[in-house]
Amino acid sequence: MAAEKIGANFKRNMFTENQVLRAILGICSSLAVTNTMKNSLVMGLGVAFVTGLSSLTLSAMRNVIPHRVRMLVQTLVIAAYVIFVDLLLQAYMPDISKQLGPYVGLIITNCIIMGRAEAYAQSNPPIPAMWDGFFAGLGYTMILMIISLIREVLGFGTVFGFNVNFVGFETWTIMIMPPAAFFIIGSMIWFISARAAKKAARQAK
Amino acid sequence: MDFSTILKTVGILAAVSAGLSVIISIAESVLNNYGECELDVNNGKRLLKVKGGSSLLSLLASEKIFIPSACGGKATCGLCKVAVLDGGGPLLLTEEPYISQEERAQHMRLSCQVKVKGNMKLLIPEDLFNIREFVCELVEMEDMTYDIKRLRMKLPPGQTIEFKAGQFVQFYSKPYGKVKEEAFRAYSISSKASEKDHIELLIRLVPNGIVTNYVHTALNVGDAVKMSGPYGDFYLRGNCEELIMIAGGSGLAPIRSLVYDVIEKGLPHRMRFFFGANTLRDLYYMDEFRQIEKDYPQFTFIPCLAFPKPEDNWDGVSGFVTVALQEQVDSAQGKEAYLCGSPGMLDACIKILHDKGFDDQAIFFDKF
Amino acid sequence: MAPNISPLIIFIASIFTSNMILNNFLGMCSYLSVSTEYKTATGLGMAVTLVLVLTTAINWLVYTFIIVPPELYYLQYIIFIMVIAALVQILEMGMDRYMPDLHAKLGIFLPLITVNCAILGVTLFMVIRHYNFIQSVLFSLGSGLGWWLAINMLAAIREKLASAKLPPGVKGPALSFIITGIMAMAFIGFSGIFTIQ
Repeated sequence: MAAEKIGANFKRNMFTENQVLRAILGICSSLAVTNTMKNSLVMGLGVAFVTGLSSLTLSAMRNVIPHRVRMLVQTLVIAAYVIFVDLLLQAYMPDISKQLGPYVGLIITNCIIMGRAEAYAQSNPPIPAMWDGFFAGLGYTMILMIISLIREVLGFGTVFGFNVNFVGFETWTIMIMPPAAFFIIGSMIWFISARAAKKAARQAK
Repeated sequence: MDFSTILKTVGILAAVSAGLSVIISIAESVLNNYGECELDVNNGKRLLKVKGGSSLLSLLASEKIFIPSACGGKATCGLCKVAVLDGGGPLLLTEEPYISQEERAQHMRLSCQVKVKGNMKLLIPEDLFNIREFVCELVEMEDMTYDIKRLRMKLPPGQTIEFKAGQFVQFYSKPYGKVKEEAFRAYSISSKASEKDHIELLIRLVPNGIVTNYVHTALNVGDAVKMSGPYGDFYLRGNCEELIMIAGGSGLAPIRSLVYDVIEKGLPHRMRFFFGANTLRDLYYMDEFRQIEKDYPQFTFIPCLAFPKPEDNWDGVSGFVTVALQEQVDSAQGKEAYLCGSPGMLDACIKILHDKGFDDQAIFFDKF
Repeated sequence: MAPNISPLIIFIASIFTSNMILNNFLGMCSYLSVSTEYKTATGLGMAVTLVLVLTTAINWLVYTFIIVPPELYYLQYIIFIMVIAALVQILEMGMDRYMPDLHAKLGIFLPLITVNCAILGVTLFMVIRHYNFIQSVLFSLGSGLGWWLAINMLAAIREKLASAKLPPGVKGPALSFIITGIMAMAFIGFSGIFTIQ
């Protein structure tokens, strides 16, 4: 199988097979941290970093891991990188680390990382696997940024902490509460699915 | 970097991992240890003593009773049904989609899902007792078309295979290239049923197919090949005057075996064989079937080419098999239909047969 | 160190005001995929609750006696997850042996639960909030029941909607999220009772 071109890899992970909107993975954290854009950015980059490096490592090891312990080894590798990211955050961005709370540790169970490890890193060489993982994480980050933009602007009237509420708009408290997260992501998936269905119907003609 | 910290970390991690592994092993040997269990097969016809804790399917296989399975124990094919009269426990959620209400009354279970935990009483169909495992030598390998290979395998001296024309074997591939494990797939036997010391198979290369790629790239003449069988409900019933046979691609295999079976046994049935192919290079065994036509007037060969090119000089039927079927078969009176091919082709042909009045009881097929 | 909250209050709050799904977004993957049928949703809910209580209790012991004394806080993720995986495996074997009827219903869900973020999540919440043993057990029991409640509600609604005519693209995850959002809004009504986060 010829190695996938990096551009195609990027396009696939960011758009056509976006892990959050198309594969519906990584939802737990998508919803939890998107009340501010700063948290989302840090979380998103953390996931991208972990996914990229895990895919790189697992792909490099793919021929030596015995079949029976595959899932265990994947979990351990991912856990190791997550610990690294967590310690990094605790040291250099302690407020954000407090706000993100257990969700950094929960990156271990984030289905995106395990999903990429199984679906791509298992059967592809290390460097493309690393890009695949990293871009999957970036696609995830993009979605997080969109959701948090809506939530932060409407819920706090700020963007990255900077006030943008010049019209004295009465902020919608519900935007920073869980229900809004569900509605926003539900609407986004609806929109994308409807478009995909229409495209498929047009192509079938 | 503090040396004692590193030591502590590695130490505790190793200790916890080791501790957990030990606990799991102990749990496994205590909890999963069901001791020796006795399996009573077919009211005492065979009494097996096996070590409990594994699936019924695998334990029966270890005792050389081969229950058919296409999915390797994942509860997705529904082929491994066995009647468990006693000792099987309640029906599992994974079995429910495959066991109908009548089958539940007969105590049918999926043997790949039933775990042997104690003594059991089983009822296994007689046919399955005839199933054996063979390790044969590959003596011939021929390219019939650009993607179909004919394999001819010789059984070990003294062993024979008793099969009905139309049945299939499970063919096992060995680890090769990136594939680390053995895999098995079903292939219909294309050789004559009268030839009991050889088996011939027609294997078409499927893109990314584990076993077909093994056959087309890693297997060589002289190699040892493992197979088990015979299996299958696809064989001649013959309560009719004419057999309508339909096949596409490597689906020709069981039909060839059936045709020779009728001829060799001197049966009176007329036969019409509709063979569908997309292009000229997909056709094979043309000369052989045309020769059979000449030698045995009861047999008619109708090859259909879906996309003939002008340079092919094709004078046979143009179009899909369905076209010829529609035009040339007038009614279902006195006929049985035998089909083998891709699901799409089968569904289309079966619909036409239904329209012509064929009962489901008169239609036999092998979908692959 | 442990907060001065009655375990009973923690129990009730974790079902209604700090619901694992509706407030903390944990365990969404299996929540979405197994909520098409009420029967299977109940099975999964039961299994999740069982695993949650056992793993949280054992992880509390592991945390208190293996992680805290040598101060290896950075190892907690790896150790917790190994304990969870091992426990689920042993639970499956034990259930098969001693409760085969239950195993027939829940057995297939157990491997799925190992990677369910709710399990690790509850353990991590317990650690962050410094709960003592009783608080942890009731917290995990309540979280499990709350998760079970949420998935049952969603399954019941989805079964009713299965035959409804819907705009294109909304059926499936999009609809589930919107329904869950409405449920979450409804549960906000409980927040007057007491909160623990």
